[in-house]
Amino acid sequence: MDTEIENQPVRPLTILSFTINGRTVQVTTDPSARLADIIREALDLTGTKISCGIGRCGACSVWLNGKLVNSCLIMAYQAEGSTITTIEGIGEEDNLDPVQQAFLEEGGFQCGYCTPGMIMAVKSLLKDTPHPSDEEIAEGLSGNLCRCTGYSGIVRAVRRAAEKEQ
Amino acid sequence: MTDPKPRAAANNKQIRPDGIPKVTGRLRYLTDGSMDGMLYGKIKRSEFPHALITSISVEKAAAMPGVRAVITHEDVPAVNGFGIVMPDQPVLCEDRVRYVGDAVAAVAAETPAEAEAALEAIEIKYEELPVLDSPEKSLSSEAPLLHPEGNVLHRNGYQKGECEKGFNQCFCIVEETYEVPRQMHTYMETEGGIIAPEEDGGISVYMGTQHGFKDRFQLSRILGIEEERIRVVSSPMGGSFGGKDELNVQPYAALLALKSGAPVKIHQTRSESMRSGIKRHPMKITMRTGTDQEGHILAHKVEITADTGAYSTLGPAILDFAVEHAAGPYIIPHVEVNGVSVFTNNGVSGEFRGFGGNQVTFALEGQIDRLAEKVKVSPIEFRKMNLRAEHDPGPLGQTIVPTMGAEHVLNAMEKKPPRLWRKKEWKQYGTGIAITMHGGGLGYGRLDPAGGRLSLTSEGTIEAAFGFEEFGQGITGVIEAVVTEAFGCSREDVTIRIGDTAKVPATGSTTASRGTSMVWHAVQRMKGEFQEKLLDKASAVAGCLKEKLSLGRGGFYCEEEQVLTFRHLANVLETDIVTTTTFDFPTTPDNMDGSHYLYTFAAVRAEVEVDIRTGQVSVAGLNQAVSAGPVIHELGYKGQIEGGGVMSIGYTLMEEASMRQGRYLTENLDTYMIPGISDVPFDLDVHPIESLSDNDPHGPRGVGEIGTVAVAPAIVKAIHEACGVWTNHLPVSPNKMLEHLTEREVQPWIPK
Repeated sequence: MDTEIENQPVRPLTILSFTINGRTVQVTTDPSARLADIIREALDLTGTKISCGIGRCGACSVWLNGKLVNSCLIMAYQAEGSTITTIEGIGEEDNLDPVQQAFLEEGGFQCGYCTPGMIMAVKSLLKDTPHPSDEEIAEGLSGNLCRCTGYSGIVRAVRRAAEKEQ
Repeated sequence: MTDPKPRAAANNKQIRPDGIPKVTGRLRYLTDGSMDGMLYGKIKRSEFPHALITSISVEKAAAMPGVRAVITHEDVPAVNGFGIVMPDQPVLCEDRVRYVGDAVAAVAAETPAEAEAALEAIEIKYEELPVLDSPEKSLSSEAPLLHPEGNVLHRNGYQKGECEKGFNQCFCIVEETYEVPRQMHTYMETEGGIIAPEEDGGISVYMGTQHGFKDRFQLSRILGIEEERIRVVSSPMGGSFGGKDELNVQPYAALLALKSGAPVKIHQTRSESMRSGIKRHPMKITMRTGTDQEGHILAHKVEITADTGAYSTLGPAILDFAVEHAAGPYIIPHVEVNGVSVFTNNGVSGEFRGFGGNQVTFALEGQIDRLAEKVKVSPIEFRKMNLRAEHDPGPLGQTIVPTMGAEHVLNAMEKKPPRLWRKKEWKQYGTGIAITMHGGGLGYGRLDPAGGRLSLTSEGTIEAAFGFEEFGQGITGVIEAVVTEAFGCSREDVTIRIGDTAKVPATGSTTASRGTSMVWHAVQRMKGEFQEKLLDKASAVAGCLKEKLSLGRGGFYCEEEQVLTFRHLANVLETDIVTTTTFDFPTTPDNMDGSHYLYTFAAVRAEVEVDIRTGQVSVAGLNQAVSAGPVIHELGYKGQIEGGGVMSIGYTLMEEASMRQGRYLTENLDTYMIPGISDVPFDLDVHPIESLSDNDPHGPRGVGEIGTVAVAPAIVKAIHEACGVWTNHLPVSPNKMLEHLTEREVQPWIPK
């Protein structure tokens, strides 16, 4: 079974407030609903994906209070009062983040489905470790699966983004 | 208008047209959509791998809150079956289930929770039947028949010379049986999307596939609706690798949408996807191969048994492909290949990147390395002694396009300097090389139409339209590169139209490494006529001699000066400028069913590190040389080979969708392991060989599959070089490695 928390017996709904990508929102929800579902469905921020639903693949990676998390494993009540950043808060078409630019230039994506979560993880890695070694890259991205690239393009993108930091 | 005319730049390094929406998370996948009044669909699948259905009761479910439609076999208006080759997989089972992914009922409700609850309330009674969980059981005389024609889906073989006579002349013979696992595609986006009913009684399908027109045909056959009233929008997708080529959840969303009169969304969870989705064919391959004293292969006998699971899908074609490629790029006087694809109660096996080639190449290259060792010739030298030459026929004796690919890729690997290891205690190191040849297109005697359309849009862009789908492989990048190169225009001048049966011409499937090749062919066929049409009109509008006009960035140039924009021309045109083409994928002139004409080649060098304490194998380096004609889009090409290589590292070392008694032992990515970033070498080496034989008119070949094919045997040979262990079984498990290492006393401190 995937973790379909929202399908558990009915609980009273609560009103949840948090800040997402700089915007304060209120959502009426089951307190045990998955944060990933709230982000995708209630807030229509579909850059955050769900692929395994059990915290294994990282497609749903977002930042919760600045920390990288799998949003499919976060329950709604845990997000109360928090500050969340999703891929939509990272950069836009005419104002790309250097990591996004590096992904474009180095072939860090193919189908693109893991890409939002992967970019959240890369940003998080570079925030803590601006010039990561190969071991640190592997450690930092070990929670994010990509089936298309074989990770080569992603590694190139991380290295290029880190170089630009200098 | 005085812009100097920029020369047509090489576009093969440019970023992909779908790049920005992907890296910003703004791209709407078909499973990201929603519509007003949309319902959520869920599918009730079989509880048993093999059983009779004695009753189905949906009354309770239908009466539950929020439920708007429940369907069973009674609701299928026309043919209750699907399958690209034969429609033998029931859409909704009536009296019997043959695998755990079989669908028996489906519901549409206002919320996912209500749909889930209703699914639980559907009552199905079964009478269990014996489970045929292996081809051996299915072929035994007491086995129940899974299909009216029996338990054999397909047999195919090939014979040349007289194998027994050949073996009698052999100095050295190797006979081995190789077993390869059921691999899951593991596209990150599981199957799904939305199907909406339309006012004319038709439907619009927003769900991924690799051949929109084929889905339209299959849905028409199920629903009893004319194809013209079915629109299939099939791009973009979050990966496919062959796995979404066959129908998956489309029939259920379609039936539910028609019954409820509302759009229905289905998006399978990972466990639903694992249970119902197709996988790569597990195969057992026995090869007996012999050489003379010097190492010339004289005879090669192959028996292939494929576990095709409960239904056909493309099982027959995959077996044919395996049979065709069983002798690979080697010239052998006596060959006998016999293949059988067998129905079982296991998960359905079907189309997967490499298409049967990966399985036989693992076995074949294993034979080659074992023989080379026995006759004491280096593996590269041994291969060279037996390799095809430029004008040799194909593996089934058919005429093929002349190619030096085999020799080129092998030479490239031979020239590569050896890896310098930084050796550590308890580790042993080895290198292995393997090669392969791989046919493109569907093969002789199979409908394999292609085509395309170029037009000038009212906005003043050149629209390139193809019936292909983008699932990550980069067809949009290829189209953009080919069109900008053909007309010297910029990427802003090009509109790419794909993945929508209402808007594109039918140009065949996006499979079989055919997309790149067919886009290139189509544009070469159309560009002269299209350019003439544009220049005729432009000449009249700009008042400039046609002979002096040429196309470039943004429009038309007369002696280096822009005199007219595409937009301006589009604004004043009274008739549309359109060029279309249709043709077939090139095939051999010889009547050899399913055989190929255009081949690509790859050589792989794998470098592994074996931990003799744990038996863990890690791949430290993976180098691939690929011969597939000119590179159209550098990042796309490289990405296909790198990504394909790593997918096959998974196949070799960790991936297996194990089944026991017809049930999956794995439900999600915590137990079905695909390579993570820590499991792969960071710097994969891709070496494209772009040259083709003289006067080769076929241009670039596709590389979607070739990067996956020869990886496993290269890794397995590298393991052998590291610690003397030959393995015939994939994935190579650390436990098995430890057993072997202990047996060979590589670990003297472990008592035997």
